[in-house]
Amino acid sequence: MLGAFRSALATPDLRRKILFTLGIVVVYRLGATLPAPGVSFANVKKCAAAVDQQGIYQLINLFSGGALLQLSIFALGIMPYITASIIIQLLTVVIPRFEQLKKEGQGGQNKLTQYTRYLTIALAILQSTGVVALATRGQLFPNCQDPVIPEQGTFNLIVLVVTMTAGTGVIMWLGEIITEKGIGNGMSILIFTGIAARIPAEGSNIWTKGPLTFTAICLVGLAIIASVVFVEQGQRRIPVQYAKRMIGRRMYGGTSTYLPLKVNQAGVIPVIFASSLLYLPDLVSRLAGSSTTPSGWQRFVQTYLSQQSSWVHILAYFALIIFFTYFYVGITFNPDERADEMKKFGGFIPGIRPGRPTSEYLKFVLGRITLPGSIYLGIIAILPNMFLDITGQGQNQNFPFGGTAVLIMVGVGLDTVKQIESQLMQRNYEGFLR
Amino acid sequence: MGARLDRLLAGLGRVVDATRPGTLAPFRGQVAQAGKAEPTTQELTDEELTSAALALRDRAADESFTEQERVRWCALGREAAHRALGERPFDVQLQSVLAMLSGHVVQMATGEGKTLVGALAAAGYATQGRQVHLISVNDYLAGRDAEWMGPVYRLLGVSVGWIGQHSTPEQRREAYAADVTYVSANEVGFDVLRDRLHTRVADLIVPAPDVAIVDEVDSVLVDEAKVPLVLAGSVAEDDTDQVITAVVGSLVAGEHYETDDEGRNVYLTDAGADAVELALGGIDLYAAESGGVLAQVNISLHAHTLLHRDVDYIVRDGKVQLINASRGRIATLQRWPDGLQAAVELKEALAVSTRGEVLDSMTVQALIGRYTTVSGMSGTVAAVAELLQEFYGLTVKAAEPNIPCVRVDEPDRVYTTVEQKDAAIVEYIAETHAAGRPILIGTLDLAESERLAARLAEAELPCVVLNARHDAREAAIVAEAGAYGAITVSTQMAGRGTDIRLGGTEGAQDRDRVAETGGLCVIGTGRHTTSRLDDQLRGRAGRQGDPGSSVFFTSLEDDLVLRYAPELVAVVDRDPDEDGRVRSRKPASALGHAQRVAEGVNLDIHRNTWRYNQLVEQQRTILLRHRDEVLRTDLAVTGLRDRCPERYEALLADVEPEVLVEAARLIVLHHLDRRWTDHLAYLADLRESIHLHALAREHPLTEFHRAAIAEFKDLLPETMDASVETFETARITEDGIDLAGSGLRRPTATWTYLVNDNPFGSEADRTLKRIVSAFRGKRA
Repeated sequence: MLGAFRSALATPDLRRKILFTLGIVVVYRLGATLPAPGVSFANVKKCAAAVDQQGIYQLINLFSGGALLQLSIFALGIMPYITASIIIQLLTVVIPRFEQLKKEGQGGQNKLTQYTRYLTIALAILQSTGVVALATRGQLFPNCQDPVIPEQGTFNLIVLVVTMTAGTGVIMWLGEIITEKGIGNGMSILIFTGIAARIPAEGSNIWTKGPLTFTAICLVGLAIIASVVFVEQGQRRIPVQYAKRMIGRRMYGGTSTYLPLKVNQAGVIPVIFASSLLYLPDLVSRLAGSSTTPSGWQRFVQTYLSQQSSWVHILAYFALIIFFTYFYVGITFNPDERADEMKKFGGFIPGIRPGRPTSEYLKFVLGRITLPGSIYLGIIAILPNMFLDITGQGQNQNFPFGGTAVLIMVGVGLDTVKQIESQLMQRNYEGFLR
Repeated sequence: MGARLDRLLAGLGRVVDATRPGTLAPFRGQVAQAGKAEPTTQELTDEELTSAALALRDRAADESFTEQERVRWCALGREAAHRALGERPFDVQLQSVLAMLSGHVVQMATGEGKTLVGALAAAGYATQGRQVHLISVNDYLAGRDAEWMGPVYRLLGVSVGWIGQHSTPEQRREAYAADVTYVSANEVGFDVLRDRLHTRVADLIVPAPDVAIVDEVDSVLVDEAKVPLVLAGSVAEDDTDQVITAVVGSLVAGEHYETDDEGRNVYLTDAGADAVELALGGIDLYAAESGGVLAQVNISLHAHTLLHRDVDYIVRDGKVQLINASRGRIATLQRWPDGLQAAVELKEALAVSTRGEVLDSMTVQALIGRYTTVSGMSGTVAAVAELLQEFYGLTVKAAEPNIPCVRVDEPDRVYTTVEQKDAAIVEYIAETHAAGRPILIGTLDLAESERLAARLAEAELPCVVLNARHDAREAAIVAEAGAYGAITVSTQMAGRGTDIRLGGTEGAQDRDRVAETGGLCVIGTGRHTTSRLDDQLRGRAGRQGDPGSSVFFTSLEDDLVLRYAPELVAVVDRDPDEDGRVRSRKPASALGHAQRVAEGVNLDIHRNTWRYNQLVEQQRTILLRHRDEVLRTDLAVTGLRDRCPERYEALLADVEPEVLVEAARLIVLHHLDRRWTDHLAYLADLRESIHLHALAREHPLTEFHRAAIAEFKDLLPETMDASVETFETARITEDGIDLAGSGLRRPTATWTYLVNDNPFGSEADRTLKRIVSAFRGKRA
């Protein structure tokens, strides 16, 4: 793989693309650390150190690469854009006009992209207003007394909202030009950057526990990443033949025509679902009553469910992930539909009749392969909870060697490398031709 | 000043809408200068004109015109055209010529003299020492344009040739040797394909590609670019075919096999599979090794159930001939791919004509990609400007019409049913005809044209029909289509490239009479799958500032709507008037939507074909380069000598070295061609299943590349291994090598054809269907 990178850098066209992407990433990071106007950098720093991150901001902060809690000009990160794309995607099912556009190919798609951009800006205005409101009331850092925005005049606040909204617009543009002129999917690369940017901070955090622990953690981390890479690439390849063409004398089949089923067919979604769901009781208990005289169930929730080091929490998390993995695979992969489609287009699995037998076979294989897949997801997700003594309470999402962070990072990394590889293969041909 | 402002405004327009084509403003200055030189060029004798043009040829090999030379060229070209044809090119025409000499594609409205512009541009390139292929739409136009423009070329000292389907190899070689060659895309493609089978340098026909000027560029580069040109070779007959045909013929619909809703796919039921297995002697159809039998059964089933005689094809002179649905012509050059043609022939109990395998194939797109410079012109290219930029790196410039177009384009008239639509069309024709206006009716297919002609006859409206059955009279019919009171019912044949003059052959005085009635009235009986075809049809009226009008009659039962926007027909609130016409705006927008979906689907198919073909084309180029080297050098014999020196020495004792060189070359070429054929088959197979990779969140295209590249890497080494084996064992005598004796048979016959639309349903179809079904599922 390193060889691939070396030859990628040796190909001028590809090198330009990679350097361009890196340049954009640098710009993005710069913006993520640049404080927005009117924000007291010193106070934010003090407060951020004191904060005990919990709950809802955790995921947002993860996606924005920590920019949210720095109140930087890129505080909102890529989140509004992601949300907007998801909303527009969903709307194509609901609104006939959107559905029409989606079907109209490139032209319609361009219009939908334009709508996504508008919606992103709208969401950004909403979110930045929310964040600024929270910050002025001191709710962004509940345990911190220093005002993060010393001058709270209307004009100042408007400037702050406008800056953050504009920042989101810039991020959106950065993401799009990466996709267009750089390498990989811009949105994914920016998320990747946000997560990876936390590694040094986490590293120094761990360093304070002593060099021995640090070395051990690093080794464990590497082992985890390696195993995630390994499992993510794991596939069950079901051979498929399409008997609709009369091809030459040689019969092919076996190696190249197959239906791949991933070990981790569900990706990172079950983990996100599970952690959101697990957060719900905590939210309900906080909203339900005063914290001074907690009732019985509130106390249970607080000691067992909210506490990330508690065994109840860990077991519930694990069980939920397994459940959601099956649930999600069940939704996204429909063996009946697959078998039906194969039958219609002349495909079959050698030795198995098309139609029902094929569908049952697929169900069987899928059920088998989802079990290790879900256990793997569960283990990776709860791993950070084992290291809470070292990383500190509430940090499980941020721990770079497990959980959502590592799944996303490895996923994006693998995709990007594959894309570089594919382009490289083509470029080499062109080089050969010259 | 005004020009500068224009340019500024156009520039601003392009900033707002990047896909809008640029204007010809940059070329105005040079043409204006050429205008000043006109008096002096007029004084030249014909000989002086020719020698002046020849003087411009005196240049280094790859040096293009300087600014002065371009001006000079314009002046000479104008004078030559004026003298040879009696037509003095307008300024916009010369501007278009200059744009094309700069490698742009030019949009020119109908009747603006595209043919002359193409000829002057071609002659311009030729004068710069380039070799030009003028790619025309069909053989008829290639011949016509070459003859028509011949005098202009002669005056400019440029030699010209043309090629048709029936040209002999010698005629072809001669035509290609000329400075400018008029040839259809199919013919040049077939020539390129045939060339790659020759084993002697002297047999090659097509010279190295240089400049291509493409007429009707959107049609060639967009609409037909994805159609593969195929070179096939015969293989031995297989007698199981008869058995399978008999077995499939005995199956019962519903019980043994089912077809899907759209009638595009057919598949065996369990009972059907049992029956076939029993009839074929208890084999297991779905075992890994019987894929070939199953494929034959599937193809035969397809031929029996989905293709209908006299609808999809006709049987004539003991041959199956396809009917091209979109043009209504008999497509003599087209075949169904992948054994389907043979299956249909077996079904009709005819001699199997094309049992063969694909030796090589290339798309028109790849063919055009070979040329170093590509330019072109068309009336409707602006709509695909973005696409030409994306796929071919071409920029489009729009020429303003010489005289502004005053044609009236009425909004669509939408009816609820086809029946009401037809009635309304007849009524409208009767009304318009009463005033003496010539009418051109564009129908979507052959059957419709005849149906409408019958209705018109009933209504006692005399009409002329132009369709595939009357193609011999095409020119005569078109010539009279603009005459006073003429009614012409046509298929798409009259849509593109035909020039309908008001007054017909009667000429000038009748022209004014017709113009007074309102000029040519164009009626479309339905929207086409792309708005460009609609515009082409409209463009028949209003040439060179003539009066004219166009209107489309559509219905909610039109194929376009039923195929691409069926869900809309149900929801549209129909509020028809008594005559069935729907006047609310919704149905019209539904039609627009259906057309955009159709365009989107076509574009997706095109983009997909392009993406998947790019790599194959690169591999082809590598292979052909290697083949060319084997063909022209001693690579084969030196390679074999290095691998098996003993055998080489032993042979050298018996035969002359030249014979050995030739034998070695034949061996290597044979294995090279064989491997490439296998490779293509492998890729076709791979392509069929590659979409499954999306299930593992992999990118199908990336995976396709991965597999294709891995396979190709072994191709050349394997060729050499196989060649060594043959070299060691084959009988080589003074008379050369006995390839057949070694079991290596070159195809006894080869033929070329175009592949008809993929009858098995494309990937885009599948995707579209998936979206539609997902949507319906949610609604239900």
